[in-house]
Amino acid sequence: MVSLAAEAGSARLFWLRAGRVMTGLASLAVTLLGLLAFTFMLSHLSPVDPVLQIAGDHASESTYAQVRRELGLDQPLLMQFWHYLTHLAHGDLGISRLTNSSVAGDLMRTFPATIELASCAMLFGAVFGILLALLAAWKPGSVVDNLARLVSLLGYSVPVFWLGLLGLLLFYAVLHWSAGPGRLDDIWIYTLEPKTGLVLVDSWLSGDKEMFRNAIAHLWLPVVVLGLLAMAGITRLLRAALLEENSKEYVTLARAKGASRGRILLLHIFPNVRGTLITVLALSYATLLEGSVLTETVFAWPGVGRYMTTALFASDTPAILGSTLLIGGCFITLNALADALTYLTDPRTR
Amino acid sequence: MKIIVPMIAAALAGSFAAQAATPPDTLVIAQSIDDASSFDPAEGFELTSVQAFTNLYQRLVQSNPQNPTELQPTLASSWQPGKDNRSLTFTLRDGAKFASGNPVRPEDVIFSLSRVVKLNLDPSFILTQLGWTKENVDTQLKKIDDTHVQVSWTADVSPTYVLSLLAAPVSSIVDEKIATANAKNGDFGNKWLALHSAGSGPYQIRKFIPHEVVLFSANATSPGGAPKLKNVLIKNVPEPAARRLLLEQGDADIARNLGADQMAALKGKADVKPLAIPMASLYYMQFNIDANPVLKNPALWEASRYLFDYHGIADDLLKGQFQVHQSFLPEGFLGALNDNPYTFDPEKAKAILDKAGLKNVSFKLSVSNQPPYLDIAQALQASFAKGGIKVELIPGISTEVATSVKAHKYEATLNAWGADYFDPNTNASAFAYNPEDGSKTLAWRSNWHIPELNKQTLAATAESDKAKRVELYKNMQREVQKNSPYVVGLQARNLIALRANLKGYIQGINPDMVYYSQVTK
Repeated sequence: MVSLAAEAGSARLFWLRAGRVMTGLASLAVTLLGLLAFTFMLSHLSPVDPVLQIAGDHASESTYAQVRRELGLDQPLLMQFWHYLTHLAHGDLGISRLTNSSVAGDLMRTFPATIELASCAMLFGAVFGILLALLAAWKPGSVVDNLARLVSLLGYSVPVFWLGLLGLLLFYAVLHWSAGPGRLDDIWIYTLEPKTGLVLVDSWLSGDKEMFRNAIAHLWLPVVVLGLLAMAGITRLLRAALLEENSKEYVTLARAKGASRGRILLLHIFPNVRGTLITVLALSYATLLEGSVLTETVFAWPGVGRYMTTALFASDTPAILGSTLLIGGCFITLNALADALTYLTDPRTR
Repeated sequence: MKIIVPMIAAALAGSFAAQAATPPDTLVIAQSIDDASSFDPAEGFELTSVQAFTNLYQRLVQSNPQNPTELQPTLASSWQPGKDNRSLTFTLRDGAKFASGNPVRPEDVIFSLSRVVKLNLDPSFILTQLGWTKENVDTQLKKIDDTHVQVSWTADVSPTYVLSLLAAPVSSIVDEKIATANAKNGDFGNKWLALHSAGSGPYQIRKFIPHEVVLFSANATSPGGAPKLKNVLIKNVPEPAARRLLLEQGDADIARNLGADQMAALKGKADVKPLAIPMASLYYMQFNIDANPVLKNPALWEASRYLFDYHGIADDLLKGQFQVHQSFLPEGFLGALNDNPYTFDPEKAKAILDKAGLKNVSFKLSVSNQPPYLDIAQALQASFAKGGIKVELIPGISTEVATSVKAHKYEATLNAWGADYFDPNTNASAFAYNPEDGSKTLAWRSNWHIPELNKQTLAATAESDKAKRVELYKNMQREVQKNSPYVVGLQARNLIALRANLKGYIQGINPDMVYYSQVTK
């Protein structure tokens, strides 16, 4: 009897979890569709005439009409959206007017550069952000805590663009500790065979140690500049969560039992803020993937942020839609992953 | 801690020290190449692609780099006008070869010029001015024999003018065999040529990664002679301050499109040579005269000429980036008027407005939100206010502003106009031509109907006598300067800086006049 009840219970739990996963996936799909519809509508509300951009100022009426027909702009809006969706289902994001090549191909070329920069910056920001938050929460109001608050305030308020230029001036032009803008020095641009699109990995795979060192020399400064931004956010939110947890009864109890401050912080409080931590990390990473455009501009980093901005300025609709979809997809997926991870690691959320 | 910090610093310095020298056989240029979408001369019309064409391709005739108004034989060794002044017969240069090793034949000339018309892409209007259409272009281009080709036209234009058009980048001679071998769906190789080259210029494209880098390698068999450096590497550095740092550190040999602040920072540095090269780019205000009755009043146009703070903007606000220029042909063009009769004089402007009975004048100025447009527009807002005219700025992204101006949905705009080819007609046909055939010229954007100027514009293209042509353009410029809904105020300068050891670099007034082949370092 007992085992039957246990079996029924675990089956119910399985279906409950499966249902939750399905609901999550369905809401993910609906959000993505909503994002697509929203950006599609926005691009069609733009006052810029895409036909004129392609046909040019000197085009005759017949050429204008032909380009309009080729772009499908003579169709009703819903039909245009449907065509966009069906092309999308086949992996076709259209042709960028700016690069004359497929948007999907452009994104595959530019996204790895952003992933490389954002991931390294995230690692930097997470390690130092968590460390600083822990040190701050160790002794609230201490010098270290004030320092952590100052660093997070600076990281938030100093424009990343200005910090990047200042970093270049100091570490590249004056101290010569870093290489200049770009991903590699010119002599290696000729020879590097792109395999993954991640210069760090590709240069390592090439077996040329000098090239690998050069890739690091180019990477570390933008990583630190961008990482400081991530670090500021992580420190601020994690510190607040740790201090809030610090005032709860179980901490007082642990303290009364004689547990050391470090033990309480690391073994009692820290595990209880994992939900906040996971969410903060996911959101920081998503922001880095999407928001590194200024860093990419200063450091001539050919990533997706710059691709999207250039497309925006040129009103290159297929490129704007494609990159918005990619970044929006990243945001939604990282959010969903953070939810799933919190659900899996924190029994209180089940 | 005291030991660790210097250790880390030393390790970084040792491992990651900047290269600080460009490869000796390579010219490294830092500029923004975000605009480059196609290197096909029948399509590329942006700054980066046009700058490349003279180095990748040759035309039958080209401007002399030292004296641009003089045309010199290039792939043609000579030419002969037909008796009816409606054709030119070119003798091809003996032994000329493309980078592929294929000889330059009359068939290549016919293919190159006709594909421009048949593809009908943005720059094709330069050649369709000859009366060429998709249907008739094949009959206008004829192979006489293996070394002679005849180019005919139906439009009423002189052979001198046709030569100017044939010297434009769109008239670059493409290797037919290579382009045809790479053609898809009848595109005459357009998609392939967007990323590759098939010309006879001193360089050829070795690698092009959009938004990242374009690399040229030497074409040793170019009819003009092999270039002195093996490679030209143009890397995309979108931020001007970063371009300046690359140049200062020696990681770039040329930094393009610098701002006035970067030029000031480079001043006095021994190993760097800053240059301000006049460009065929004019900055002007124009009114949409059908937007409201005040904007149609010539008194407003005249008063505006005295409210444009020419020297304040050129000398004080945007130091060195501009020179004052008030006629529609830029300095350096055949027939350009370089006297600048107007000065900033708010009292005179007020008197003109009073005399015309114009009170409480205000208008909206549509302008790109990018520098230097917005800076200039803000200066104009202040200077017009001194004359009693209220200017409301309507900033937007440049494509948005362009669309609204082309749709006549604006009152006034501040814009720039660059020459499409090196002949005075390029600007005359924009500023002083508005035929009723749907041509969307600058005059059309202003709704300015000018039958008399239209006639003069056409007459100038039909005129073969150089001196008479110059006189015609001077008259037209005076007329437009005095009575038009434009205020032409500034001519841009290209601010670039070179490493001091660089020799042989030539850059002219038109965007295609960029010559890398004689550069040494």
